[in-house]
Amino acid sequence: MIESPLTMTTAFTFGPLAVTWPVVVTWGVMALLTVGSILATRRLSTRPGPVQAVIELVVETLDGEIQATIPGDPARFRALIGTLLLFVLCANWSSLVPGVEPPTAHLETDAALAAIVFAAGVGWGIRAQGLGGWLASFARPSWVMIPLNLVEQVTRHFSLMVRLFGNVMSGVFVVGIVLSLAGLLVPIPLMALDLLTGAVQAYIFATLALVFIGSAVTGEGPPRETAAPASRQKDTP
Amino acid sequence: MTFDWTTFALQLVNVLVLLAILRHFLFRPVAAIIAKRRAETQAALDAANTARAEAEAATARAHTEAEASAAARAGVLEKAEADAEEQRRKLLSSAHAEAERIIAEGRAALTRDEAAATARRMAQLRDLAAAVATRALAAQPAGPQGYADRLAATLRAMTDSERAALLKGGNLQLVSPDDLPAATLKAAQDALSNYGATAQLTQDPDLIAGLELRSDSGVLRNSLAHDLDQISSAMQDDRASA
Repeated sequence: MIESPLTMTTAFTFGPLAVTWPVVVTWGVMALLTVGSILATRRLSTRPGPVQAVIELVVETLDGEIQATIPGDPARFRALIGTLLLFVLCANWSSLVPGVEPPTAHLETDAALAAIVFAAGVGWGIRAQGLGGWLASFARPSWVMIPLNLVEQVTRHFSLMVRLFGNVMSGVFVVGIVLSLAGLLVPIPLMALDLLTGAVQAYIFATLALVFIGSAVTGEGPPRETAAPASRQKDTP
Repeated sequence: MTFDWTTFALQLVNVLVLLAILRHFLFRPVAAIIAKRRAETQAALDAANTARAEAEAATARAHTEAEASAAARAGVLEKAEADAEEQRRKLLSSAHAEAERIIAEGRAALTRDEAAATARRMAQLRDLAAAVATRALAAQPAGPQGYADRLAATLRAMTDSERAALLKGGNLQLVSPDDLPAATLKAAQDALSNYGATAQLTQDPDLIAGLELRSDSGVLRNSLAHDLDQISSAMQDDRASA
């Protein structure tokens, strides 16, 4: 019997602290990424091998995306956006391991990610524009928009959280339902679809995080073309 | 569905820790190696540009040096041509002077040779004249009577036909350079009369000395002038054959 993804199961307790399974899986993902990073960057050379070439391609593509959204040095946002992308991707794909639920299928993980993006946007916005400038950005294009901009500041991060949670959780839900109804091999196509969905969701989450941070840094709203993936994403399962 | 704040807090910490780990172990090293490669590439490009600039400068210098070399070569050639022309002029002048000197020496030598030859010829002529005179004088008889006797002897030595041809030739004359003594003339006429001929005496100073018998058909030579001619011709023939 597959448990509901909406329930939170405690893996173990550490004193008064109850460590749930999403946290344990997250630790696994962290260990995997840490070991992989150490191994991949152990022998970096100016003449890269195949692995280093792929990593450099990812980093340079990431830098390109950042520069296309936020003018200036991409190094400021590279670690955060890259970490979000890699973590969400690995977390989403952790469902390939039998018996493992992706941490992103639980609202707490997505909320933590959205909170980090929110805090980054606030922090970089104040750093870039100053506190007054950042606050003044809520009065654009008119002071009448202040309530709406304040609400939007919360809702768009909330939507960021819910979007990732809904997509991943629904995938896990569907696979669980099909598995309980049809049998062992039937969910495999849906799991393959989950791989695609997980990759797309990771890209969308990182891109939207970049757009939100960029809008906070520049003091402008998210551009239409960069906000488009969010509108398309609402139609995905 | 409940929201587990503990899990939320742990996940928040986890993601921040992962952020720090990936920043340190992944993004920084990769970004650094990319920057290093770009720096090396830029350095290589700068070095290539510097090398190209140096090559262009070297090419320009080479062109300049080539032009300078060409100019120097032209100058050297021009100077060499001028030197050669000057040398040629000097050689020609020297050759002309030498030729003129040789010609002058030749002319002087020719003059000397001609003088010497003339002297030699004069000496030869003197010797010849002396020899001819010596021989001729040695062959001459003593006085007019001797010539008359030699004329008579010659007539006797001639064959009859030769003698007859001479004596019958008409206009028969005895020729002497000057007057003969009467005895001598008589002796000569007597010798002619032996053969039935008579002749008048005529004078011819060219004979120098002697007595000849002339007719329209021939001459019986018996004079110093004839002997001198004979001797001179004989001696010239001898010199020519020598």
